This record gives sequence, structure tokens and C-alpha cells, in this order.
Amino acid sequence: MTDTDNSKSRSFGVGRAFAVLLAALFMFSVPDVAQAADAENSIIVSVQNQANNNGVSEKKPVAGVKVSVTGLSGIAVGDGVTDSSGTATIPVPAKDDYVVTLDVASLPSGVTLVEGTKTVVNIVKDAFTTNTKRVTFFAGSTGESGASLFDRIAQRLVDGVRLGLIIAICSVGLSLIFGTTGLTNFAHGEMVTFGGLIAFWFNVLLGIPLLIAAPVVIALGGVLGLAMNGIIFAKLRKRGIGLISQLVVSVGLSIMLRNMFLYQFGGRTRPLDDFSLQVAKSFGPVSITMRDLSTTIISLIVLLSVAAYLQKSRTGKAIRAVSDNPSLASSTGIDTQKIIRVVWFAGGALAAMGGLFRGLDEQVGFEMGSGLIFLMFAGITLGGLGSAYGALVGGFLVGLLVELASLVVPAELKNAPALLILIIVLVVRPQGILGRKQRVG
Amino acid sequence: MDIIKILENTVAAFFGIDAAYFALAAIGLNIQFGYTGLLNFGQSAFMACGAYGLGMTSQYFGVGMWWGILIGLALVIILGLLVGIPTLRLRADYLAIVTIATAEIVRLVVRSVRFKQYFGGSDGINSFSTSFRDLSPFDPGAQYGIRPFQYSGYSLWTMIVGWSLVIFFSVLVYMLMKSPWGRVVKAIREDEDAVRSLGKNVYSYKMQSLIIGGVVGMFSGMIFALDRGSVQPDNYSRDVTFYVLTALVLGGVAKVRGSVVGPMMFWGIYVFSDNFLRELTKDKPFDIFGIGIIQKSQVGPVNYMLIGLGLMLLMTFRPQGVFGSKEEMALDGR
Repeated sequence: MTDTDNSKSRSFGVGRAFAVLLAALFMFSVPDVAQAADAENSIIVSVQNQANNNGVSEKKPVAGVKVSVTGLSGIAVGDGVTDSSGTATIPVPAKDDYVVTLDVASLPSGVTLVEGTKTVVNIVKDAFTTNTKRVTFFAGSTGESGASLFDRIAQRLVDGVRLGLIIAICSVGLSLIFGTTGLTNFAHGEMVTFGGLIAFWFNVLLGIPLLIAAPVVIALGGVLGLAMNGIIFAKLRKRGIGLISQLVVSVGLSIMLRNMFLYQFGGRTRPLDDFSLQVAKSFGPVSITMRDLSTTIISLIVLLSVAAYLQKSRTGKAIRAVSDNPSLASSTGIDTQKIIRVVWFAGGALAAMGGLFRGLDEQVGFEMGSGLIFLMFAGITLGGLGSAYGALVGGFLVGLLVELASLVVPAELKNAPALLILIIVLVVRPQGILGRKQRVG
Repeated sequence: MDIIKILENTVAAFFGIDAAYFALAAIGLNIQFGYTGLLNFGQSAFMACGAYGLGMTSQYFGVGMWWGILIGLALVIILGLLVGIPTLRLRADYLAIVTIATAEIVRLVVRSVRFKQYFGGSDGINSFSTSFRDLSPFDPGAQYGIRPFQYSGYSLWTMIVGWSLVIFFSVLVYMLMKSPWGRVVKAIREDEDAVRSLGKNVYSYKMQSLIIGGVVGMFSGMIFALDRGSVQPDNYSRDVTFYVLTALVLGGVAKVRGSVVGPMMFWGIYVFSDNFLRELTKDKPFDIFGIGIIQKSQVGPVNYMLIGLGLMLLMTFRPQGVFGSKEEMALDGR
């Protein structure tokens, strides 16, 4: 076979691989129940109690609140009462200007609207970006004035540990993939989203309890990782495509997957069914729900196991060897391709687990992972690119930092300090906390 | 299905204002990525510098529109130094991570409630384009041209200014890359150490390239803001950078005509596929064997999915795009 023939057949192989990937992802087609309801125009009114327990804002839905929608001319269009999820869906004839009114008298006793919240909200026609427009009323009292500075710091520390562990779980794979293959995988955030969405699919659409579904979700995450490697990146490596080009391919993959999730899932964020309503328990100055306490402990156990596995087991040692120096590792008889597959599987599985925990912590949505990818990058750079333990330490520190930062900066900007730290680390210690001192320029 | 209308829109999109502002952004990105090998994933932040520089002039400083260019330049230089100083000595992917992170910080800051008094929060800034509007020689109310190239006076004015800038910067970049400076940056892309051994200050050249590319990106943001008559923070999300990158790769990296024709083709294809899918799903969801595949509301995501897929396929099978040469795409990070 001549060279051209060879490359032709190889490129055909990659083309077919892309087609398989595409087909596979469409098959995951979640028959979206909620989307069907979206087809008609509607206004979704949501009433949430932002009870502030020592600075932790737990959103709790408020049921049984009367809301009504009127047209601009004052003609009643429809009304509703919020259900157990605190929402009431009111169908409207068209995308038009409406006024949404909340009946204050129907609020449960002891619940008041947040200071400054209007009971009447005007909706303009252009606000309907989709067929539905969501209006949220916040009840409860805000302001952390009640809690002392020490209590607030303690609470933020607890939240930070939780977020940090999730980021660490998500970014182990990102760092190991970088270490073993040199790829900066921009699609890693989509692996996290995948975990959350598949969990939603099992738990909410199929009604399978989360505890049973979780192992399957995690395994499927691993399979997605294997698929990404096998169908795309292993082929690109074989074709000798440069790392920067591979990076740009991962950007394309990220765009494609994110929009695929949007196509399947719609643009709203939704909660998982199980463990969604929880009451926070107080432990001294901090309060945490049993769900969050459990996920924190599980995360910690998982991360320690990962570290132990890398440190002690044969495969773990091989992974570190390949991370350190792929060609040297390969010359000592380590099957690098096999190690790379293991890393992709483990990375995908851990990312899916992170997505599942994140989905429990917040909600599930098509952008949940891509919102985390910046923090993941900050974490692995802080810890040292390519170093597995670095990802654990760096991810954890970044999570902690983000939550602590919200003590001083507005919540909407709490990610900014983490990203500034990233820049400072690169100036001061580009190899990161645990990275080897080497030329990275 | 109205095929004539779809084709008309497609042809118009080739020369539309969207293609013009994408072309400007792509010319800037081409200086950085194509010629110097800098992986700038924060071009949207440079575009935001231009748009907000312009928007803030009349709204908050009470100075004329021309000051917007100066304010924009100052912002671009600050941003360039901020992302360049820590990363330009490091491997290419560090710059990618830091630029994308910085672009996200910029977007978070300008849309935040805390800084609403300066940047207008998520509503953005409106009513700054009056003095630009007054410069227009065309009657804003009248329609000019024949279909499909029919524009209101104001659109025609922004288009003429936009495409003039595209031509100006194309010529400038062409000449720049023929100059000694251009040869140095291209050599940096190929082999940094070799250039360093010749006594050139690689770091300084990279910084110049980053900022020059950022300045062209700034004009892109200005044209976009002037055309829309408003500055919206979410128009400068990271995805904009990626779409510009896709358009650039489509045209051909490290080629001036690639950076102009690429965006035109990108918008042509995008508008065609968008219009086509919308027509297809206008009355009922598009289905295969009775299974609804694409609902009306899903046209947007499907389109962007195709862009992502297109970027992957391009990078894999034809990294040189339409006009590029394969040798100039042989980038490697390690």
C-alpha cells in the first residue's frame, strides 16, 4: 500500500469514527417530558424561600402561594397556586406583555418576601427568549448581619470544602489526561455535565432511585471518556496531529456536546428528584444538610482512594510513570496506550461523579460543567499541570478560595479571585504547587 | 419552503455586517494565532474593550465618540499586559487557559450588579451611537440598494465603515507580514529558540503581536456595538471567540484572505443552515420515520452543534482551511 492510500484509509477511519460518535450521542436522546410542555407559551412563577442560616442560603420552595397573570389592559389571563416545588405554570396565549402579581396574603405564616422584592412584576414581550418565561419571587430574610464574622467564615469554610472536593474530583481526569497525552481537554466540562444529565435521566425521567442509578451514571461517564479517546483523540494522536490542533478539536467537541445537551435537555436548570428537599442541620456555628455532608464524606473517601491507588497499585504507578515521561515509561515496557485508556475511563467516571454531586448540590443544567471548567483549569494549574496529586490539592484550594472570596466580593463575582490567583501563580511559580521544576516555556 | 428567500438571505450574509465584524476579529486573531502561534482564546474580551470603550464615552464620561477609540486602546493594552506578562514566557496552552479565564472575568465584571453604574449590568449600555449616526451621509429612514442587498441608511453606513476597516486592516496585516517584523513573528511560531538565539527579544515580539491583534479585535467590537446600537455583556462570551476561530480556520490560518473570506463563508453557511432548518420546522417538527428530530425551538442548538462538529472536522481533515497551507498549521505545543 502506498503512503497516500494509507493516509486515505486512515482518514476514512477517523471520518467513520466521527459519524459513530455523532450517532451514539443522538441515541442518548432523552425524550424530554418537560420540553413537550414548553411547546406552548407559558409563564412559570417560582416562589423560593431564601432562608439564611448563618450565611448559607438554602433555597426552599414555598408551596400554596397564589399568583396571577394579567394582560396589560388588566384582563385576567390566568392564575395558579405554587406546588411542592414552589412553581406554578400559567399558560399564556402568546408572547406578549404581561403583569405577574403575587398574593402576599397567601404566603404561609412566617414567610415574607425579601425586602425590596416587588409583588408585581412586569414582563415585556422580548423577555420570552424561549416559549417560557420564568419569574421568581424570593421570600425569607436575607442579610448575614445576624451571624458573627467567625460564624460566617466557618460556614464558608464548610461550603468551600464541599465545592473544593467536587472540583478536585472533576479535575483529576483533566490533569491525568494532560499528563499522559499532553492534551488540554476543553471538553472535560461536558463530561461533568454528562454525569449530571444522565443522573437526571435515570432519576427523574425513568424514576430510578439515585442510589441505584449512581454506579451506572459513573460507569457511563467512564464509557464516554473511553469513547472520546477511542473515537477522536487516539485517532488524532495516531495521525500525528499536533497538540494545539488537538486542543482546538476539543474546543469543537465542547461546543458540539454542550449544544447537544441543550438540544436534549432544554435551557432550564432542574433539580434531581431524590434528596432534593433537605433540612439543614446545625453543628455549632455551621449548618449543612445530611445530603451535602454525605457527598462531602464520599468525595473525600473517593479522593483518598484515588491517591492511594496512584501511590500503591501497579496501574497507578504506571500512570504516574507515563505522566512523568511517556517515552521513558514506554521503553520500560509499560503499555502507554492502555494506560491512556485507563486514564480516560477513570477521568470520565470521576467527572461524571462530580457532575452527579454538583447536580445534587445545585441543579442540573446543560452548562453546569462548562461553568466549572475555569475553576478546574485554575485548580490543576495551581496544583501543577499533569500532576495527579496537584489536581487534588489545587482543585480543593480553588473551591475553598471561591467560597471564602464570597465573604469579601459580591457572590456574582466570587469566581474572579480564583482566576486572578491562576494568573498570579503563573507569574510566581508556573510549575504550580506540586509540579516539577522544569522549563515550561 | 421558500428557497429563493433562503438563498437571498445566504447571499446577503456573505457581505453582511456580521461577516464584517467577524472578519475584523478574525484578522486580529490571525495575527496572534496564525502568524505568531499565540493561542488567544480571549478575543471576545478584546472585542468587549472596544464596545465598552465606545459605550462608556458618551454615557459616563460625557466625551465624544472619538475618545472611545482612545479608551478602547487603553483597555486593550491593559488587558494585553495582564494576560501576556504571566503567560507569554510559558507554553502555548497556558495562554489559552489564562485568556479564556480573563475573558470570563471581564464578562462577569461588566455584567455584575456591583459595577452596574459603570457598565450597565446585564442590560448593557445603549444610546451612545448618536454622533456616529450623525456622521452618516445616508438618510436613516430610506432603503438603499436592491434585494437581497437592501439596507436602511444606518445599516449601509455601518457596513461601509465596517468593510472599509476590514480592507484597511487586511492591507496593513499583509504589509506587516512582509516586513521584517512579520518575518520575526512567523519565525517565533516556527522555532522560538532559534529566534532567541539570533538575539531577538521573543517575549516583546509576542506581546506586540498580542496587542496589535487585540486592537483589531477592538475595532470589531466597536463595529458590532455601533450596528446593534447597544453593548450587551453576553455578546462577548467565550463562544464568540470560538466561532471566530472556526471562521478563521475555515478560511485558512496565516493567510490574509483566509481571515476575510473565512468569516464570510462562515456566515453564509450559518445563515443558510439556520434559515433552512427554520423553514423545515416552521409548521411541524422535522421528523424521520415519525420521530420528531428537530423542534422549532431546537434549531439554535442544532446549528451550533454543527459549528462544533465543523470545527472538529476541519481541524482533523483540512487544518489549512480553504486558502491556508499545511506547513503553516504545523503547530505543536510541546
